[in-house]
Formats: sequence, C-alpha cells, structure tokens
Amino acid sequence: MGKKRKHSETQTAEPRKKDEGAPERPKRTLMGWKDKDEVSQQTESTPDSPQVFRNKEKVMVTCSRRINYRYRHLMLNMVSLLPHCKKDNKVESRSSKGATLNELIELRGCSSALFFECRKHQDLYMWMARCPNGPSVKFLVNAVHTMEELKLTGNHLKGSRPLLTFSSNFEKDAHWKLLKEMIIQIFGTPKEHRKSKPYHDHVFVFSIVDDHIWFRNYQISVPHNESDKMVRGGLDKMTLVEVGPRFCLNPIKIFAGSFGGPTLYENPFYVSPNQIRALEKRKKAGKYAKKVKAKTRRKMHEQSNPLEPDEFADMWRE
Amino acid sequence: MGPRSKDLSLLQVENNVEDDADDVIDDPSEEEESESESESEQEDVKLMEPSKTAIYNREGLVERLEDISWPENVDWMHKLSLDIDQEKEVDVNDDLARELAFYTQALEGTRLAFEKFESMGLPFLRPPDYYAEMVKTDAHMQKVKGKLLAQKRQIEEAEERRKSREAKRIAKEVQAEKLKERAKQKKQEIEEVKKWRKQRQQSGFKDGKDSMPDFGFEDGKSFERSSKKRPGVSPWDRSGGKAKQGGGKGNDKNKKNRDFRDSKFGFGGKKGMKKQNTAETTNDFRAFNKGGAAGNKKRKR
Repeated sequence: MGKKRKHSETQTAEPRKKDEGAPERPKRTLMGWKDKDEVSQQTESTPDSPQVFRNKEKVMVTCSRRINYRYRHLMLNMVSLLPHCKKDNKVESRSSKGATLNELIELRGCSSALFFECRKHQDLYMWMARCPNGPSVKFLVNAVHTMEELKLTGNHLKGSRPLLTFSSNFEKDAHWKLLKEMIIQIFGTPKEHRKSKPYHDHVFVFSIVDDHIWFRNYQISVPHNESDKMVRGGLDKMTLVEVGPRFCLNPIKIFAGSFGGPTLYENPFYVSPNQIRALEKRKKAGKYAKKVKAKTRRKMHEQSNPLEPDEFADMWRE
Repeated sequence: MGPRSKDLSLLQVENNVEDDADDVIDDPSEEEESESESESEQEDVKLMEPSKTAIYNREGLVERLEDISWPENVDWMHKLSLDIDQEKEVDVNDDLARELAFYTQALEGTRLAFEKFESMGLPFLRPPDYYAEMVKTDAHMQKVKGKLLAQKRQIEEAEERRKSREAKRIAKEVQAEKLKERAKQKKQEIEEVKKWRKQRQQSGFKDGKDSMPDFGFEDGKSFERSSKKRPGVSPWDRSGGKAKQGGGKGNDKNKKNRDFRDSKFGFGGKKGMKKQNTAETTNDFRAFNKGGAAGNKKRKR
C-alpha cells in the first residue's frame, strides 16, 4: 500500500555533493499519481536544496554452487532481513569469478552484493562488494546460527528498518571504518523503500571482539499496557529478544576493486581453514613416527649403557 | 568447521576453536616453530607475531572510504547507525560475558535511538494492533512456543517433585515426634498412678476416695480422637487403607461392585471368614446390579 511521505521531508535543506541520480518519482497518493510539475514546484520552492539524498542501495545476494544447507538457510535469512536485496541464482564460478559476478550485478542493476561462497562443503566465505568500482571485502564466516533455531525466540516485522549499533572500536582503524561504512550501506534498509515497514522493532549489533566482527539481531520488545503508540515510561522495561541469525566474520582481505583489484588490506592473523586442518593432520601423523623414534632411541640407550647381570635372573629357571 | 558448525544444540558455546586456531602463523619460514607451539598448547593456538607479509595500505583505504561514503550531511534517519562505547575488553571464550556485552550494546543503542526518535516526534515502537508480515512464520513461532512451554513444564515438575519429597520428609519427622510424645505421655501417666498408689499404701488406705488427686487423664479427653476425619480402616485390611484410595474416575456403581468383589475375593485380609453363609450374606446384594436387565435376557422385547 502506498506510504504517505511526510511533506516536511521533501523540503529539508540538504545540499548535495554528488549527483545521486534519480529524477523524482511522482508522488503516490491514494487517488493516483500527483502531477510531476507539482512535485518539482514544491522542491524548487526551497532555494538551497535542488534534490534530496535518496538511498538507492540495492544488494544482490547470491551463493556459489555446492553450498551447505546451513549456509543456504543463512543466505535465505539475509534475504528476508534485507528488503532492498535481490536474490539471484547460484553462481557456477571456477575461474573468472570476479568478472562473472560484476556482470551479474550490473545486469540486475544493483549497487552492492553479498556473495556466499562455500568451499569443500565446509567453509563459508562471504564477500561484501560495492558494485561499479568500489571496494570489496572477503570474510570467513564462523559460528553460524540461523533464524530457524528454536532457541532464538524473537520475531519482528519483515522489512522494518533496523537500528545499526556499532561498538566503538570501529573507529580505531582505517580498515574498520571502511567496513563500518560498507555495513551501514548494505545492511541498512533505505528509508522509503517500497517493502520497508514504518516502525523500528529490531536492532543489529556489530561488534569487534578479538578482531572478528560479531553479528546479532535482537527484537525490541516493550510491554504495552495501553494501546498507545508511544510507551509510557517503558524505557526501563525494554527487553531485547534475540531473533537471529548469528554469525561471526573474520576479515581476510580488502580489495580496491569489486571482487578483485589491488589488495588494500590483508589480515595478518588470518590462517585459512585448510591450513588449520592440515596442521592438525600433521600433528596426528607425527604420532607413529615419534613412537618409532622413541623406540629406537631407547634401544640405543640400552645398548650404550648395558645393565649389570642380575644375580637373581635364573633363580626360577627350571 | 563443518561438524562443529552443525551443533544445533550448542547455542552458547561458540566455535572458539576455529576463532583461535585462525590465528596460527602462516608464514612458511616459521612453520616449525608454530608446529611446536601448537603442539604444546592444546587448542588455543594464538599467533605470536603477525605475518610479515600482510599488506596495509592506509591511504588506499581512506581513499576508497571517501569514495563510497554518503555525503556528509545526510540525515541520521538514513543511516540509523549508533556508536556504542565498549568499556571493557570482552573475553571471546567466555560465552556469557560476550553475549552480555552484545546485549548491553544493543540495549544502549536502542535507548539512544528511542530518545532521538522521541525528540524528533517520529513513531518508534510498533503499536500492538499493527499486523503485518513477520520475518518468522506463525507456524515457526508455534513450535517455539511449544518448546518453551515444554521447558517450563519440566522445570515445574522437577520443582513439584522436590517439594513433595521435602514435605514427605517433614511429615515423617512430625509423625515421629508425635509418637514419641504419646509414648512419653503414657509413661508419665503410669508413673503418676504408681506414685499415687504408693502414697496411698504408705498412708495406710485411710482416706477413702476423698483425696484422689486429679490425674490429667481422667477427664476422658484422651479417649477423644482428633476431629480430623480419617478414612476408616478396617482391622482386617492389611494394605493399611491405601487400597481404597485413588481412582476417582471410577463409575460409582462399578466401583461399588468392584470394591465388594475385591473385598470378597481379593488378596490379603482375614483368613478364614471369607465365605460364610450367614444371615447377613444371604441378603447381601452389593454385588448385584440395581434393577439391571430385569428378567431374562432371552425374553423377546
């Protein structure tokens, strides 16, 4: 149903730096479409602001083939959380991954992308990229809990705009700042999106702990006594119920281009899960060799230090 | 990573192993050292020094940031982002503390946002009569509700069981106390009578009945039972009255019949006097249906 835009908003003074693009859509009322001239008259009445900032973010969400069920559900959860996203088919990509994805994004007319890549049916990598020539980040995703888990009991409106909370360590370093900006643009629902709902009843938490970005999604629940829109003094009784999903992102690399380009940042602490598994296997493999070595060592030691003959050795010999 | 991440039940325990094992050094020149390190410590492989080949292009990052960021004076309403201060360092492995930190961050953020919205006069919370599509389906929420209720019931049952156990124990103690009390009382009374008799003997039986001291037990009070109604237990009932209890669902007529037959043919009880053809048993119609199939069943109706 058409949402009535507040008249006050179209008249706020906001000088723009870049050309944000779109011609004003004619105002949609219940009767029909208002005349375009009327709208442009309204906006041009304020001398300073030619146009208003419109968030036209569109995110394309795809995954690679051979993705795990758990990660597929995570991707579907993301699709339901972001009303400004477009879900695309699975991408078969061995070589030239970047080019294919860039083309797809342009084809769908999106400005960002979330690409879930699952390797070896075990590891999930998430790419966050800004389409035309923007930076892209590759994350390793850990600790995935989807919304379908029964222990996550909250629920919220589908498409309501989330509140994004960031911990203060996002300001500590340049790469965190870049990540924060990308997260705001991708995860924040545009203000007057068609599918967005008016109220704010859930909040995203992005916090950096141990150089990982942890994501949580909570529902804001306040006990309503009267049927009031604003709660009376209920600020103290506000509780948060977790809705899910939950995951933990480990940034691997930040590229200057979309899905490629020169590396701007590489995580010094990152070790790929393959290497971890290889290390563990090597640890286990060493066990037998070590045992054999220990045996030979013992033998050498015995040979070099012979025991004195035991006087009781043939006491019980028949 | 696969098998660990499939642990649906472990909501709290995050995969610390993966997080910490990520930090093993990956520089090939230091492979041996890292191996010995990782062998010595169990699963908490923490990187001693970062890999030397890590790229950090600060200028490039800042440049890209400026490229993509929105204009400076964009209304906060578009971004809806809040920065929350994290006072103390949170240990990653302590699940409870970490989740608590996230929760407090979210709560703080919501409070700030609420205040901002109120100052701008915009609606913030969802009114209770606003119905729209939710992110989880109703069927799913039913399942969640079922699980929560089952948990609650489990807890309550455990509580009840514990309480009844306690109550039984206390009741037993109280009963023991009562018995002791009674025995003591009895002993005391006997002693009193003995004393009185001795006294009388000593003083030579001269007073007659005038100087009988009043015994505490003479007023007939000890013969009164407590007014509490207890189910009557017959003397030949070896189950102690427990056999009759319970089974409130039984139909009155059937119960009566069943009870009579139990008492006549059931287990235990007095031995020899079961089946006797006396005056009472001749006219005893407890086992028969009252005015049931009157007449012969074969008779045509």
